[in-house]
Amino acid sequence: MDSLHAIGFYVSAAISVGGGLMVAFLPGRGARGLAVAASGLGIAGLYASLSADFAGLIALVCYAGCALLIAAPRYRVVDSPAGFAWRQAGAVAAAALFAVLAYAAYRGDFVSATYRGGEIGSAAIGRVLFAHDALAVEAVGALVLVALVGATAAWRVRDRGR
Amino acid sequence: MSAGLVSVLFVAVALVAAGAFVATWKKDLSAALAGIPLMFGGAGVAFAGAARFSAAGDPKIFGQEVAALLAVAALALVALGVGIAGRGTSR
Repeated sequence: MDSLHAIGFYVSAAISVGGGLMVAFLPGRGARGLAVAASGLGIAGLYASLSADFAGLIALVCYAGCALLIAAPRYRVVDSPAGFAWRQAGAVAAAALFAVLAYAAYRGDFVSATYRGGEIGSAAIGRVLFAHDALAVEAVGALVLVALVGATAAWRVRDRGR
Repeated sequence: MSAGLVSVLFVAVALVAAGAFVATWKKDLSAALAGIPLMFGGAGVAFAGAARFSAAGDPKIFGQEVAALLAVAALALVALGVGIAGRGTSR
């Protein structure tokens, strides 16, 4: 990875992780949506710096959709039954997860290799998606279908209840 | 300045941990949904990094494929969660 890609990688990493932390601490759905969008922008930048431009484009669109969903006026508050102590324990567990995974990444004995990439490569990814791993694509497609049908059904039930 | 697989995995781990933190810290379950795309994004970055720095194995772009699928799956799950949460009270 040359210096330009490395700078892009570290800047994108800072944006994505910073956006993720802002999601946790910013109040209000609008600010949270903006933070998710910033995090998505950083993740797309990470993909681009890793020569995964096509995945970056898809991530950009999907995270913009996530941000719109989170910031949309249809957003409703659902309070968790878990108390403050349990949420604090969850935060500590998240920190422990970071420590364990970071240690595993640091101690891992990885083989370095050269990579001759750089182009968007949408045709090659399309061949992998629809020929080599068609079953996985169909599974994700089924998940998207179920999610959209479930969301529509939930919205209709709520509207009928008014 | 350079970045290797360990740096990529560190960022991926940070994203997963940030997503887990959001999911557990937010009292509002709808706000906790925002942790899902972060965790999926971290997993996708790890896959894309492994594909970028992998020494062998076919196809080379398998990690990019999984990253794209994870982004779509995250959007679907957030849509489902927001839809289900739509039965709650507005604030």
